[in-house]
Amino acid sequence: MSIEEQVKDILARITRVDKNIITREATFKEIKADSLDVVQALVAVEETFGIEIPDEEAQKFQNFGDFVSYVEDRVAQKEKV
Amino acid sequence: MAQNGRIRVAVDAMGGDYAPGEIVKGAMLAARKDDVEIFLVGAPDVLEKELAKHKFTANGSPIHIVGAGDFIKENESPVDVVRRKPNCSVAVAAKMVKSGEADALLSAGSSGAAAISAIQFIGMLDGVYRPAIVGSLGSFAANTVMVDLGANVDCKPHQFLTFAIAGSVYAKKFLNIADPKIALLSTGGEETKGSEAVREAYSLLKNSGLNFIGNIEGSDILSGKANVIVCDGFVGNVLLKFYESIGAYAQVWTERKLKKYLPLRALVRLLFKGLFPATKISSETEKQGGGILWGVDGVVKIAHGASRAPQIANAIESAKEAVKAGVVESLKLELAKFNQGGKL
Repeated sequence: MSIEEQVKDILARITRVDKNIITREATFKEIKADSLDVVQALVAVEETFGIEIPDEEAQKFQNFGDFVSYVEDRVAQKEKV
Repeated sequence: MAQNGRIRVAVDAMGGDYAPGEIVKGAMLAARKDDVEIFLVGAPDVLEKELAKHKFTANGSPIHIVGAGDFIKENESPVDVVRRKPNCSVAVAAKMVKSGEADALLSAGSSGAAAISAIQFIGMLDGVYRPAIVGSLGSFAANTVMVDLGANVDCKPHQFLTFAIAGSVYAKKFLNIADPKIALLSTGGEETKGSEAVREAYSLLKNSGLNFIGNIEGSDILSGKANVIVCDGFVGNVLLKFYESIGAYAQVWTERKLKKYLPLRALVRLLFKGLFPATKISSETEKQGGGILWGVDGVVKIAHGASRAPQIANAIESAKEAVKAGVVESLKLELAKFNQGGKL
């Protein structure tokens, strides 16, 4: 399963929204994710992929696509090391 | 439950307007009964000093100190518990419930932080998105409970269904009502009334198999038409605080009206204190020592921030009763029926 699909699954499980509304362009507000949902998703993604997402980076995410791209980059960096 | 049969309560000793002094004092009051073991979670040196003020001796005592490096201050975001302060007192207490070292958690600190600790570190029961606070309406409507009383300001439609299930379990367990009548609080009786979330919730409740009687309006809250009134935490909390204030204001208003008749004023005061139930609501809430978070996979009790030692002792007692009554197991069983039917 791709990283995007895995992150989508995590977010859908936490927010209990239909996966289909989680597109790369969708904002957290559109996904109906409140601040706790987002924090829970960050923790779950960190644990799943063994990466760290600093708060200052997380605050820059404008939509789901930004979140996924960041995770993809970090996972790629981790694999290089 | 501990091997000695005692109920173990993990108390966030650093949370509350009068923490840790009144929390420690309250724990000592509660520990006078021999069926409880209390874990005070917080800064050990601070707690030791507090206990020393009461000539506390550790030998054989049912009170223990559990160290926690940090605590959540009232002005901090409750969400910080998860990433910035995962070892704060309320989080450590929650982790004790999860690991089975404690049977219940009590906090008089930030209720948001307690709820988030419960969600993150204890976990939710299957099918529940967020916990809710269920509360009885006291003397005016003795057979009615309301849910949510403030844990969820914004709600998704399916949350109303889990609120209804939690309220129904509460009514069965504590009010002995076999098949509680459930109503949705709205701005009119028709299905089309209310916010988008309330309208969607109507349809979920109608098809839930619960004893759903439809919408009721604010004027029906005290009528006894419904045993469980379901609303979001914003509406529930505003109503609760308004409701608790009515008695005192009604007394002041009546006394003012009768200010020319001094003997009558004294009589009014007596009548209000002794007979008029609204003035008792606050003290009833105090007796319960706050509310339980329903939907969490463990007993989590949230006490009022301004709780003093007697209220903390009451809250510990009430957390203990919730463990004994098996409220979590009952809710789990009830939720399983809905999970099996794919309704949650």
